[in-house]
Amino acid sequence: MEASSKNKVRLGIFVITGTILLVIVLYLIGNRQNIFSNTIKINAHFTHVNGLQLGNNVRYSGIDIGTVHAIKIESDTLLFVEMMLKEHMGNYLKKNAVATIGSDGLVGNMIINIIPREGVSPLVTSGDTIASYSRISTDNMMTTLNATNQNLALLSADLLKITAEILNGDGTIASLLNDKQLSDDIKTTMKNLKTSSNHIATMTHEISTTLERIDMEHSVAGVLLADSIQGQKVKTIIKNVEIASQDIQKVSATLDTVMTRISNNKGAMHHLTMNENFTKDIDSTMQSIKEGTAKFNENMEALQHSIFFRGYFKKIEKEALKRKNRDLKN
Amino acid sequence: MSLVNTYPTRLYNFLIEIGDLSHFAIRYFKEVFKGPYETSELIKQCYIIGNRSLFLVGVTGFILGLVFTLQSRPTLLEFGAASWMPSMVSISIVREIGPVVIALICAGKIGSGIGAELGSMRVTEQIDAMEVSGTNPFKYLVVTRITATTLMLPLLVIFGDTIALIGSSLVEYSKGGVSFTLYFNKVIKALSFGDILPATIKTFFFGFVIGLVGCYKGYHCKKGTLGVGEASNIAVVYASMLLFIVDFIAVFISDIFFEI
Repeated sequence: MEASSKNKVRLGIFVITGTILLVIVLYLIGNRQNIFSNTIKINAHFTHVNGLQLGNNVRYSGIDIGTVHAIKIESDTLLFVEMMLKEHMGNYLKKNAVATIGSDGLVGNMIINIIPREGVSPLVTSGDTIASYSRISTDNMMTTLNATNQNLALLSADLLKITAEILNGDGTIASLLNDKQLSDDIKTTMKNLKTSSNHIATMTHEISTTLERIDMEHSVAGVLLADSIQGQKVKTIIKNVEIASQDIQKVSATLDTVMTRISNNKGAMHHLTMNENFTKDIDSTMQSIKEGTAKFNENMEALQHSIFFRGYFKKIEKEALKRKNRDLKN
Repeated sequence: MSLVNTYPTRLYNFLIEIGDLSHFAIRYFKEVFKGPYETSELIKQCYIIGNRSLFLVGVTGFILGLVFTLQSRPTLLEFGAASWMPSMVSISIVREIGPVVIALICAGKIGSGIGAELGSMRVTEQIDAMEVSGTNPFKYLVVTRITATTLMLPLLVIFGDTIALIGSSLVEYSKGGVSFTLYFNKVIKALSFGDILPATIKTFFFGFVIGLVGCYKGYHCKKGTLGVGEASNIAVVYASMLLFIVDFIAVFISDIFFEI
């Protein structure tokens, strides 16, 4: 009797556990299909549903929020899709959201994706219809792919011709690829460029260091670099130097002409500089003038002692003495 | 000449067998709703058929899920669709493999057990004694056993399916690093009422078939110890064959109502 009771208890546990398992599974499946929760109905119109079926998932920004409840044909070009969404989605889903039909993975079931859009719009209520757009179907994709394939075939044919020409050594690209000298030149150029670049980098560093060392407030260079007025003055000076240099050039050109003329035996200067006899003549003339001057001084001395001119010379001496005394007083 | 005579005789015997089995089933339906009810015997049979088979069903289910996942995994990996494993395994096990395999296991264990038990009782004239003593042996022995198998097999299948999915999830966890939560989320996502309900309903018929054939063969056991063994053996063979026929009909009807 006791064993029978134990068996009954065990049987009861067995039956209850099995039933609970079944109920849990049914509840979970029903819950997923929104059978046991409050829902709102949202509609959308499509021109093509791409194999969408009743019970397929509806997603909002990637989250499962409901299932497809009904698919009806409204006209020859329009299909009506009714979706059952969880009630709380009414607090988030706006009327300007867009429904599209997509695939859950590459080989997955069809799903409806509801994509939220920016902008102010009222929240959806049960029975509302939201906008939709039908995505490119597989047929359209295959058509595009076919056109792409054809283009690819043409491109590859052209590419074959080009590669054949390159292999034959025709054209610039072939020269670039096959000419060793050119390659070496390019290498050398690149090497030089690298060296130049290193030098420039060093110079830049040095200039930078030098500039850092300059006392911008007190040194001349600092004033020149920083003071715009001084800079303007320096500019003017440089300009003036330039003008002066131009004038010097003109003067030197004139001098050059003069010197050329002198060299070409034209004018008095040529005789002065180039004719030795003329120089000797001048020397003898100067000797004669010296002698003449000495004799003239003797004559003048004789005149000062003559009766007729003695008064005049004394007068001059007196005036000179007066001027000297006046200067001493001042 | 004897061969020519043998085939019609076999056909005749087969038709008689079918007729007797049908009559047996009709008698069951007549008796099952009529009092007095043998409740304690029914509970006892439920315990024997249900609880005592749970270990066998559990082990079978676990290995089934384990092996099925291990065998399917390389193919799915080749297609880069390993993430579909929970969906594929759950639908396969819940819809078809689980019910059929567990029913076959039960046909072997329960069907043969009932056949042997009733056959022994027939051989030892216990059934006759019951009839003489005024007890309705059909009600006491047959109705309780058929009802018990009909009620217990769906529960055994539910347990078996669950354990098979646990076995499958263990493989997915160890081989693919898929967590149990993710695995069972995918299972629930993949399953629908169209998978659960027809599969569960058909297991009632599986149970009924196993009980009916076992009881029929045992109840009409031939005299002698050889008859008991034969009853036990044929019960398993017939029950197994009938299971597939019932399964075919069940799938056919499910297809109409649930759009599989």
